[in-house]
Amino acid sequence: MQLCTTSETISFSRELEEQTAKYYQEVAGKFPEGKDLLSFAEENRKYIIQIQRAYQSVITDAIEGCFAFQLESEDYLIHTDLPAQTTFKEALQQALTVEETMVSFYTTAAEQSMALMADIPRNFKIVAKKRAVRIEKLRALG
Amino acid sequence: MAILDEPIKGLPMAKNYINGEWLESKGEIIDVVNPVTCQPIGRVGISTREEIDAAVKAGQEAYYDWRRTPPVSRCRYLFRMLQLLEDNFEEMSRIQTQEHGKTIDESRGESRRGIENVEVACGIPSLMMGESLEDIASGIDEYLLRVPLGVFGVIGPFNFPFMIPLWSAPYAVATGNTVIIKPSSEVPFSQTKITELAEEAGFPPGVWNMVHGGRTVVNGMLEHPDIQGITFVGSTPVMRDVIYPGCGNTGKRCIAQGGAANILVIMPDCNVDATIPGLLTSFFGNAGQRCLAGQTLVVVGEDNNFYNRFLEKLTDRAKSIIIGNGLDESVQMGPLRDPHKKESVLSFMEVGIKEGATLRLDGRKPKIKGDYPDTCFLGPSILENVHRNMRIVREEIFGPTMGVLRVKTLEEAIEICNESPYHNGHAIFTSSGKNARQFQYDVISGNVGINIGIVAPMAFFPFSGMSGSFMGILHTQGKEAVRFFTESKVCIHRWY
Repeated sequence: MQLCTTSETISFSRELEEQTAKYYQEVAGKFPEGKDLLSFAEENRKYIIQIQRAYQSVITDAIEGCFAFQLESEDYLIHTDLPAQTTFKEALQQALTVEETMVSFYTTAAEQSMALMADIPRNFKIVAKKRAVRIEKLRALG
Repeated sequence: MAILDEPIKGLPMAKNYINGEWLESKGEIIDVVNPVTCQPIGRVGISTREEIDAAVKAGQEAYYDWRRTPPVSRCRYLFRMLQLLEDNFEEMSRIQTQEHGKTIDESRGESRRGIENVEVACGIPSLMMGESLEDIASGIDEYLLRVPLGVFGVIGPFNFPFMIPLWSAPYAVATGNTVIIKPSSEVPFSQTKITELAEEAGFPPGVWNMVHGGRTVVNGMLEHPDIQGITFVGSTPVMRDVIYPGCGNTGKRCIAQGGAANILVIMPDCNVDATIPGLLTSFFGNAGQRCLAGQTLVVVGEDNNFYNRFLEKLTDRAKSIIIGNGLDESVQMGPLRDPHKKESVLSFMEVGIKEGATLRLDGRKPKIKGDYPDTCFLGPSILENVHRNMRIVREEIFGPTMGVLRVKTLEEAIEICNESPYHNGHAIFTSSGKNARQFQYDVISGNVGINIGIVAPMAFFPFSGMSGSFMGILHTQGKEAVRFFTESKVCIHRWY
């Protein structure tokens, strides 16, 4: 499905963040060595608020809110199921894939909307940058 | 994507709010219809002369104490209201979409724009300050005080049911006046919600009033000797033939904002990829029902390759616009407000075609996302071979159409802008500072856009407009609104 409007792009980012937060909660609950990943879930919730706040603060009648994006949601589908037999290493690998997908989503979304509204792409970039740090942490854990 | 919940439920009655009380109108009751489903979502009364008179009386009685309330205290009410507006941001936005049809992104944008006016009005202790000079003559000092006047009327249009009354009302009450808001009876629920929040913010009875209705309420405002001034946003004929002369007859102050037929000029050096989204939102956003919407696109230059590539890209994007229920987050364009408005747009298109324009993109039979009647829907239309003297250039269409016209030079493009009867928001798209300056300097337009498709001034700037688009001197919003809602009282002191 193509995401064109700001509203649906923000909703899609929220879904991704919530889905990922739930995954980290499950991993932290299942593996004692992964308990620190709980903080990632909390961060995700902060990102949701940060992005929502940027959206509501800057969206005005003048911006091109309905025409700001041309994203394919299928390009950013993430898998966050955690079957019983999954090892911690496999869970980390899955988390890495998720995070890389999200970096790609935020980076592309920021690039597409950059000329149209400053705050939303700026926040997308901040979240993408923080995720790059998260990827390093995940790699270190593995 | 799911369709967002509808906030208006159970066919509510939009009541009047007079002197701190919610009262059902004694006038005729009509349905408020959602243009997407064509089903009633509520009812509203067409108020009587007695009801508007009662509101004026309430405003007049409340004025004495309200004027004596210190500006800093009056601001506290607005700060409380501001917080309530933020708390109810999403619900208010969805009300706009449900009663008007615009997309949820557009409604949230409208909410933000409205709230920004309350933010600006919260600065009234600074904005309302006067001036003074010692020793204008030996031992004599002179002061200018800005003082409120009394009761003001605010008449809103259908196309921005939430935002437009907020261009005036917060400034009116912040400066110590009282207000009566008359929303469009087609879309009464946005102002009803705002008024509920004004009540919750604790404004004293009679300071913030709202009376629903039509001509009777407007005439009642115009003729009432206790109304000091009126702000109006609506069509040019009503502005020119009813509001402005009506205010003149009774000596009222007047800000009257009318229609438009804006022209957007494309230079071959423009940034095409950045320009196209700006054009889509300008011509087709809010289904074209904006006084700052683009109506005619003037492409400058004789480079056929540029013209063809540009129009091809533009048409492709316009073709793919998703049309439907604005509460569906994927929808990019909603319906016209009602079938008559759709008919009017269709008539203009017919006239354009008869006069020689050709349809490059025909939006008369749009593909609608979801199972909705096509009663109020139109898709984007692009008409080429348009001539500067055609009615579709010179008259306001107020719908999702784009007439494309080609000229050889920027000078010619500016000439076309300037010969239009309307001068609300003409714009140019270019990467040349020289072109931009020449356009800004020579064009007659209250609001001028440089690489901006909808030249909507922020709350701290006046919402300008000229000739056929505006009558009056001062404008709504910002410092000019403060001037409008206050009189300059000059005091000269000498003490022996």
